[in-house]
Amino acid sequence: MRSKKIFAIGAVALSLLLGACSSSTDNASESETTEEAAFPTEDLTLNISWWGEQEAPGAQKWLEESMALYSKEHPNVTIKHVLQTTDGLIPSFEAAAAAQSGPDIQYFWGGIYSQQPGWDGHIAPISDYLSEDELSHYINAKVESGFQGKVWTAPWYVNPSFPLLVRKDILADNGLAVPTNWDELMKVCDALSAKKITTIAGGVKDGWFGGWIYSILGAQSVQSQADVINAVVGTTKFTDPEHATWWTKLEESKNRKCWNDDINSLELYQAQQKFVDGKAAMTITAGPDAPNFVKKAGGDEKVTIMAMPAWSDGPLAGKMGTTSQTLGITKWSKYPQVAADFIKFTHTTERLNAWYAATGSMPADDRFDISQVQSASTKALFESALNGAPYLENFIPAQLDADAVFKNVQLVLKGSVKAADAAADMQAVMERLRKSDRKLVDNFTAWAK
Amino acid sequence: MKLASSKSVAADVHIRQRPTLAGRSSREALFWIAPAALVILFIFGYSVVSVLIQSFRYDGDWVGFENFAIVITDPLFLTALKHNGLLLLAVPVLIVLAFTLAITLFETRAGMRFYRSAIFLPYVLPIPVVAVVFGQIYQLHGALNIFLKSVGLDSLAKDWLGDPQIALGTMSSVIIWKEVGFGVILMLAHIISLPNETYEAARIDGAGFWRTHLSITRPAILNTIIFYGVIEAITMVSWVFNYVYVMSNGLGGPGNATMVSELYIYRSAFQNKAPELAAAAAVFLFIATLVLMIAFFRIQRRSIAGTFNR
Repeated sequence: MRSKKIFAIGAVALSLLLGACSSSTDNASESETTEEAAFPTEDLTLNISWWGEQEAPGAQKWLEESMALYSKEHPNVTIKHVLQTTDGLIPSFEAAAAAQSGPDIQYFWGGIYSQQPGWDGHIAPISDYLSEDELSHYINAKVESGFQGKVWTAPWYVNPSFPLLVRKDILADNGLAVPTNWDELMKVCDALSAKKITTIAGGVKDGWFGGWIYSILGAQSVQSQADVINAVVGTTKFTDPEHATWWTKLEESKNRKCWNDDINSLELYQAQQKFVDGKAAMTITAGPDAPNFVKKAGGDEKVTIMAMPAWSDGPLAGKMGTTSQTLGITKWSKYPQVAADFIKFTHTTERLNAWYAATGSMPADDRFDISQVQSASTKALFESALNGAPYLENFIPAQLDADAVFKNVQLVLKGSVKAADAAADMQAVMERLRKSDRKLVDNFTAWAK
Repeated sequence: MKLASSKSVAADVHIRQRPTLAGRSSREALFWIAPAALVILFIFGYSVVSVLIQSFRYDGDWVGFENFAIVITDPLFLTALKHNGLLLLAVPVLIVLAFTLAITLFETRAGMRFYRSAIFLPYVLPIPVVAVVFGQIYQLHGALNIFLKSVGLDSLAKDWLGDPQIALGTMSSVIIWKEVGFGVILMLAHIISLPNETYEAARIDGAGFWRTHLSITRPAILNTIIFYGVIEAITMVSWVFNYVYVMSNGLGGPGNATMVSELYIYRSAFQNKAPELAAAAAVFLFIATLVLMIAFFRIQRRSIAGTFNR
C-alpha cells in the first residue's frame, strides 16, 4: 500500500516535473517564435505614420535611410511613411483605429499617449515581439510604456523635457548671471523687463507649451509620478498644495513680466524664433531640438542648457524631465513581427549612431555611446535625461491636459484667471472626467500597480 | 375581332382613367429622382441612424440617456452652445451688410463687375487659407495693430485672438468678411431680375435711395433674404469648425473663448476618444439645425402665401 502511495506521489511529481519542463520548453519556443518567427517571404508593405521631424530635424532623412537599408536586407519588404502634423497625429490615428485599418507602425508620445491606445486595444504590446533583454536597453520603456508586465511601445528617441536655453551673452550684456534658482530667475525677469527685453520666449496659442510648463514647474512639488496618478484617480486633489502651488509660480512669472507680451497670440515655434534672433534671453524647447537651437544661437559660448531653476526643495526640483518618443505596432497590422524587426533594426549600433549624426539628439537606447558627443552642453543634456525626473504631463489624461492645463495656462498668462481659480478648474475638470471617461479610474489604477 | 374589341375596351377604360397631367408628372418626377433620392437617403439616413444608436451606447452596451446627460451637463458643451448662439448675432449683421452692398452695387452700375468679383472673392477662398492669413494679421504684433499704431490709434490695438474677452468677436469678423459675398451675389442676382418699371415709377413719385430700396427692393427679395439668413444661421450653428480649428489651433482658445459645438464634437470623437459623447452632442446639434430648417420653411411658406394674398 505504502509503496503504491510512494509510486503514485512519484508519478505525480514526475508528471508535474515533465509538465513544467515541457511548459518551459514551450514558453522558450514561443518566445523564439514571437521574436524570430519565420520571416515572411512574400512581398509586403509596412506603413509608418509618425511625427518628430518637428522636434528632431533630420529624423525624416534618417528614417528614409533606415527604410532603404532595411529593404536592402529584406528585398520583399517595402516601407512607406507619412509624416503627421502636431495637431493631426492623434486624430489621424484615432480615425485609423476606428476603421481598424491604416499604419502598421504608429508613432506615440510617451506615457499616457502610449498607454491609452493600448488600453483601447488599438496596439499590440511590443513586448510580445521583442525580447525582454532587447527592451531592457530602451530608455524609459518600462516607466512610461509598461503596463502590468507588458510594454506597449518601443522608445525611439529621448526627449529631455524640457530644457531651459539661456543666452549667456544677453545676460552678460545686461550685467546678469545665469539664474540658479527661482528667486534669481525672477530678479532676471525684473531687470530685463525694465529694459524691455523678453526674458523667456514662449507661445501658448497652440496649447502644447502649457503642458511643458506644467511638467517643469509642477514636478517640483511632487515626490513622483505616483502622486499625480493619485490625483487623477481621486485619492488626492489637484487643489492640494503639492499639485496647485505651481500655478502661483506661473502667475508670479506673469506678474514679473518674464514672458513675451504676445505669448497668447503666438504658436510655440513662432515664439522660439525670438530666442534665436536674440530678442529673448531664454526659451524652453524640445530636448531633441535643443542642440540645434544652441547651434543657431551661437554655440556653447553663447548658450547654456539647464533645467528650470528650482522653486522648491522637492526631490524632482531642478532636475530635467525625461520622456521617450515611441513606436508601436497596430493591432490590425498583418505583419507585426516584421514591424517589430524593423524597430529592432533601428536600435542597431550603426542606426543609433546615424540617428545622432542626423538629428543631434539622443536615441532611446542605453547602448548608444555618449562619448562620441562633442558639445559640452549636449553631453550634459543627454546625461541629465538619463537620470531625469518623470515627465508629469505624460501621467495625466490627455483630455485633462487640453481642457484644464492648456486652457488655464493661457488664461493665467493673460491675467484672466488667478492661480487658485486655475487649480480649482483643473480639479473640476478632473472630477468631470472621472464621470465621462468611465474606464479612466480603473485604467490609471491598473497602470499605477 | 374579340381581341380587338377587348383592346378597344381597355383603351377606353385607360382613357377614362388617365390621370391628370399634374398627377402623372409628379409620379414621373418621383420615378426619375428615385435613384438619387435612395442614394442620398442611404448616405444620410445611415449616418443619422448610426450616430443615434452610438449616442445611446457606451463600449458596446446600451446606456440609455447617460451620454446625453453627461454632455448636457458638461460646462464646456454649454459654453460651446453659448458661443454658437452668440455667433448667430452675426447673421443680422451679415444680412444688413449684404443688402446694403447689393443695392449699392445695383445703383453703382459702373465697374459693377469688378466690385462684384472683389466682394465675392473671399467667399471662394478656402477657409484654412483665410484663417491662417487672419491669424497672422490679428497677432498682437500683427499687421492690423501695426497699422492702427501707425495712424495714432494705439488704444485700439488689441490682442485680437489672444484675449479671451474679444477672441470670439474677432473670429466672427472673419466669418462675416468671408460670408458676406455670398449674400451680396444672391441678393444682387434677384434685384437685377426685378422689373425696372417699378423703380422708374418710384423715382417719378420722388422716392429717394433708401425709400426705394426699403419699400420696393426689400419686400421683393424677402424670400432671398430669408433664405440667406437661414443658410447663415445654419453656418453659425454647425459650419464654423474650420475657422475655429485653424485660428485657435484646434483648441477653441484662448481659454475656451472660441469653443463651438462642432469643435466639441470633433475633440470628443478624435482627441478625447469618446465617440459616444461626440454622438450625443451631434444629436443635439442635429436637432438645433433641424429646428432652424423647419423655421425657415415655415417662414418661407408664410411669406409666399402672403405674397399671393397681396
